[in-house]
Amino acid sequence: MRVKSGDMCLIAGFSGLMLTLYLAFNWAPSVDINAFQSPEAQRIFYWHVPAAWAAFIAFGVLFVGSALWFFKRSPLGWKLHIAGSEAGLACGLMAVWSGCVWGAAEWGTPWDWEDFRLNTFGLLTLLALFLVLGRQSQPDGVESRDTFSTFGLYGFVLVPITYIATRIWVIRHPGPVIAGDENSSISGDMALVLMIGALSFTVLIIGHIMTSIEITKFEQRIDRLQKELDGE
Amino acid sequence: MSSRLVTFELLWDLLTNGSIHVTLSTGQSMADPILELEKVTVRRGMGVVLQDFSLQIKSGECVILHGENGAGKSTILETAARLLPMESGAVSHHGSLVCDAQGRRLNPDSPFGLTLQSNCLVGSQTVDQHLTNVMALCAKSIDLKPILSAFKIANRRNDKIAHLSGGQQRKVAVIAGLIPAMVESQPRLVLLDEPDSGLDDSAIKVLIQFIHELRNIGHCFMIATHDSRLFECGTSLNDLTSEKTQEITNSDRWTMEAKPNSVSLLKTKIGWKYNSSTLVSIQRNWLAALLVMGGLLSIVDPLTLSDETVILMGFTLAPAFTLGLVGDAVFKILNEQRAIDWWRAQHNLVPNSYIESFISGIILTGISSQIFIQSVDYRIIIIGGLIAFATTACVRFLQLSTIRLARTNAVFIRLLTPILILPWGIIVDYCAKL
Repeated sequence: MRVKSGDMCLIAGFSGLMLTLYLAFNWAPSVDINAFQSPEAQRIFYWHVPAAWAAFIAFGVLFVGSALWFFKRSPLGWKLHIAGSEAGLACGLMAVWSGCVWGAAEWGTPWDWEDFRLNTFGLLTLLALFLVLGRQSQPDGVESRDTFSTFGLYGFVLVPITYIATRIWVIRHPGPVIAGDENSSISGDMALVLMIGALSFTVLIIGHIMTSIEITKFEQRIDRLQKELDGE
Repeated sequence: MSSRLVTFELLWDLLTNGSIHVTLSTGQSMADPILELEKVTVRRGMGVVLQDFSLQIKSGECVILHGENGAGKSTILETAARLLPMESGAVSHHGSLVCDAQGRRLNPDSPFGLTLQSNCLVGSQTVDQHLTNVMALCAKSIDLKPILSAFKIANRRNDKIAHLSGGQQRKVAVIAGLIPAMVESQPRLVLLDEPDSGLDDSAIKVLIQFIHELRNIGHCFMIATHDSRLFECGTSLNDLTSEKTQEITNSDRWTMEAKPNSVSLLKTKIGWKYNSSTLVSIQRNWLAALLVMGGLLSIVDPLTLSDETVILMGFTLAPAFTLGLVGDAVFKILNEQRAIDWWRAQHNLVPNSYIESFISGIILTGISSQIFIQSVDYRIIIIGGLIAFATTACVRFLQLSTIRLARTNAVFIRLLTPILILPWGIIVDYCAKL
């Protein structure tokens, strides 16, 4: 069996994630026990932040794909839209789930309905869920593609809002780790594990997008063949 | 209409559609086309149904579209009725652009007759209520009795549409499609998609006679049909590849006089009528809100939470929020038999239940204030009304944005509504400090 580059990326990304988990739980230094209510739970951060990072990449792909379909009617654009929404859903759910676990341990509540960043990121994940489920509930056609692409385009507005939310409206969520101010700097070992995690998630996302495009291509080919059999 | 009312309608339009649409008005002579499709390309599904299709219909003409199933007859009609987006081209009514490939949708200068393949009726309304709404849209009224008698449904005038047979419902839909021409002496456009479907022989004879009479006073028709009996109405027969003109000998003229009917805030009034005749907001929105109130009361005694002002305020404003989250009751009604498409074709502003939501929010918040905080503060009550109104508008906007999909009820658009919890929570915090 021929191993494709998408499969290679998936395997490499998955291996990197396993390594990240191992390092996060066994090698990365502990945080100051006085700075956190639940210092050990902070290790979830090595999973949570890279997952959120990968989700933003996926939403970027979703935006580009939506724009390509909506303005250029590009078939590749639609494939990117599908891949971006699926990857965004997977990574978004991982980020939300790990955030809820940490929130329950640190804040005493898994979710804060009044925290701006939690809600905008939650909405982005729900948008991805809507796009994935909605697409499966509708026959493929220009009507459904236009509608879902529009949501993909508007949804991307939430990405910069979510990123800057903790700068302009800090309630509970910690400030940005990447490209933050001087208070956001972290120790070298912590940064290394975080980088491995972010890189692994990025490779995994690239693998997923490549595989998803391939699957969509096959689905569209089957659809064409079925129509030929129907005599259309 | 006074300038204040115009401003209000424009604001309403902005709320409903996210943009303001302005009706263009131009002078026109009788020789100008009433309907013009200019190099229209339309895709449905993954196929191109119409490619660079052009058509003009002038006053006194009747174009019969015929051809095989799937040839594109309904697509032409629905494109002319502004219901389908185009890949290229433009559609004009009475010389004014009404929609184009750039996504512009401008309200037509004049109402036009429309009968789609679906009847576009609301089952809970009576025949009289439905036809009166159509006449109100035309700002004219006419005696319906002779028309209903001709179609042999005069005795069903005050019956609910849901109680009629399929054929009788079709007659109501066809009459509704003809009314804009029946009430007007100036040329009007009438689009009929398989009007013969389900009609008996005598009804088809009446329909043919009405079309002749209305065409002879200058109205124009585009009719998609497979029934060769209707071919006699056509000044031209178009099978979408070629067109054949024919002479018509019938010279009978429509003589019924219409009376003017003043109209203001029509869509809001009709939304109110839909709500009051069906009580749909009671059975959906109110029920959900009252269940939330009852559920909260079943788990907590408000008297034991007297110091927890934020929680009590949340409980107080929860029913109004729930009422809005259920969505616009009128939107639900209009989804029956594609009635919403009939309205969307006529006007960018579709009937709504914003006023009902606001009033219901006020009443519910008044009740919950009395229950949870044992006092009635008019500011909280007004805020409750505004929460219900704004939430209804947001949910309706989301629903309208998926209207093009083939299975609108199957799409998971409600997944996006949790975002409304954030502003609601902020308002609850604010109210707790009042």
